Amino acid sequence: MKEAAIELRNVSKIFKGKKAVDNLSLTIERGSVVALLGPNGAGKTTTVSLILGLLQPTNGSVKLLGDDPQHRKVRDRIGAMLQDVSVIDSLTVAETINLFRHYYEKPLSLEQLLTISGLAEEKNKMATALSGGQKRRLGFAMAAAGDPEVLFLDEPTVGMDVTSRQLFWDTVKAMADKGRTIVLTTHYLEEADQIADRIIVINGGRLVADGTPSEVKATALGRTIAFTAGDGVTNERLRTIPGIAETEWSGRRVKLFSNNTDQLIVELVQRGIPMKDIEIQSGGLEEAFRTLVSSLQE
Amino acid sequence: MDITMRRAAVAQFKVEMLRTLRNRRFVFFTIIMPIAFYFIFTSSMDSEMQVGGIDWSAYYLMSMAAYGVAGSGIMTLSQKFSKERSQGWARLLKITPLPSWAFVVSKVAAQAVINLFMIIILFIVAATVKGVDLSSSLWIESGLWIWFGSFSFMAIGTLVGTVRNADVVQVVGMIVYMSMSLLGGLWTPTETMSSTMQVIAHAMPTYWLGYEARNLIGGGTFDWMGVLVLGAYVIGAVILSSYIMKKQEAV
Repeated sequence: MKEAAIELRNVSKIFKGKKAVDNLSLTIERGSVVALLGPNGAGKTTTVSLILGLLQPTNGSVKLLGDDPQHRKVRDRIGAMLQDVSVIDSLTVAETINLFRHYYEKPLSLEQLLTISGLAEEKNKMATALSGGQKRRLGFAMAAAGDPEVLFLDEPTVGMDVTSRQLFWDTVKAMADKGRTIVLTTHYLEEADQIADRIIVINGGRLVADGTPSEVKATALGRTIAFTAGDGVTNERLRTIPGIAETEWSGRRVKLFSNNTDQLIVELVQRGIPMKDIEIQSGGLEEAFRTLVSSLQE
Repeated sequence: MDITMRRAAVAQFKVEMLRTLRNRRFVFFTIIMPIAFYFIFTSSMDSEMQVGGIDWSAYYLMSMAAYGVAGSGIMTLSQKFSKERSQGWARLLKITPLPSWAFVVSKVAAQAVINLFMIIILFIVAATVKGVDLSSSLWIESGLWIWFGSFSFMAIGTLVGTVRNADVVQVVGMIVYMSMSLLGGLWTPTETMSSTMQVIAHAMPTYWLGYEARNLIGGGTFDWMGVLVLGAYVIGAVILSSYIMKKQEAV
């Protein structure tokens, strides 16, 4: 049997006394497309940095393709789009891609990389003259240069326009179909829902939920009750009612996040809360995610 | 070293050369400016003039070659290192198979090759246009000395490059470069300086870089003090910059 693509065992990372990652254990099988979800500061990027060997865990062990992530043989088989990485100055797009191709044993061809990043027309442009979205796509070409078995995408579509984003996900899907392992972090939840076959929700450095997109939605039962609130309904009053994970107001319209809307609606009626135009919705991933995150904070 | 490792390092080296030569600021400050200064300050002086027993046109050639390589090392490397660390490229390269030593070595090697060409260009210009006449062994000895000495300024550039802010690093680099050139007597001969200024000059790596080259073409014996001072700057800069980098990386 082939080794797992990624294996974390009881991994913790402490920065200045604060736990960024707290006793995290997870195994990612080869060929899976995994989305790491979580609010800002949840520990997603720290987790990715630990997997890549850019950070050393305070406790626990990290294995990437069965080995130490810092091992050269491992680095030859991975690629990553990191956050906050600019492009290299004084080089054209083609020169930048070619430089990265030279790092790897079995690189993809320049033409292939230009095609998948949609930069064929810009190949002789200076990389620094590209738009924000084009720079991210160049980052993708660099990540894919070595035809990686495991591809990391840390918030990859930030700064991309709609067309760029579509092309990007089509390419990622094609790579996934070829059996590549893909680990991505994103806060565009619809994207995670569409592309990933497994979603891992992290908050406060801990694993909150783990499963297929529908499983995650089911476990969280991210449902909402929305209504136009009558006089005297305040946020404080609503928060005293059990079973409400989060409230969201826009004008007099209030949306309640809960993992049991059936019970909650009964509760609301019994308490005589004045409500108009009641809507009960089974949540999308967004709702599931918020229910999970806020239930953990309580 | 296996083949892919070498191929990666060579590709990196070529790219570093290309990047430096495409940098207009580099070309202006370290190639055009020394040549221009050389012409201005040799043309405005009496052509028969001698300083320290050497023709002024040969004396000032050595100063300007030293000035050029000092700037090439300090300015170029400081900016590359600063930028690449602050903009995340250094972090990105860590997850590629490019060996970590290649990150520094490719830049230093590329700069060293460029420095060698800078010295040769300046020497050819001086010999053909200004008629500086030295024996071939003196051309080679003085040129090689300046080339070896240039590594000291690359080390200083690496140290300045620990400054993360791109604008600040440029200013700091410029201050270090210009003050070292001025105090070390690359613009005006130390012979004309006051005794206090001469003491300061002797502590400057720029002084020894120029002095030793002029000493060689003036027929003097090789002064090991030059090697000692430049070597001390290399060791000091390397120790200090690795200390600062460790502190910066420790989160």
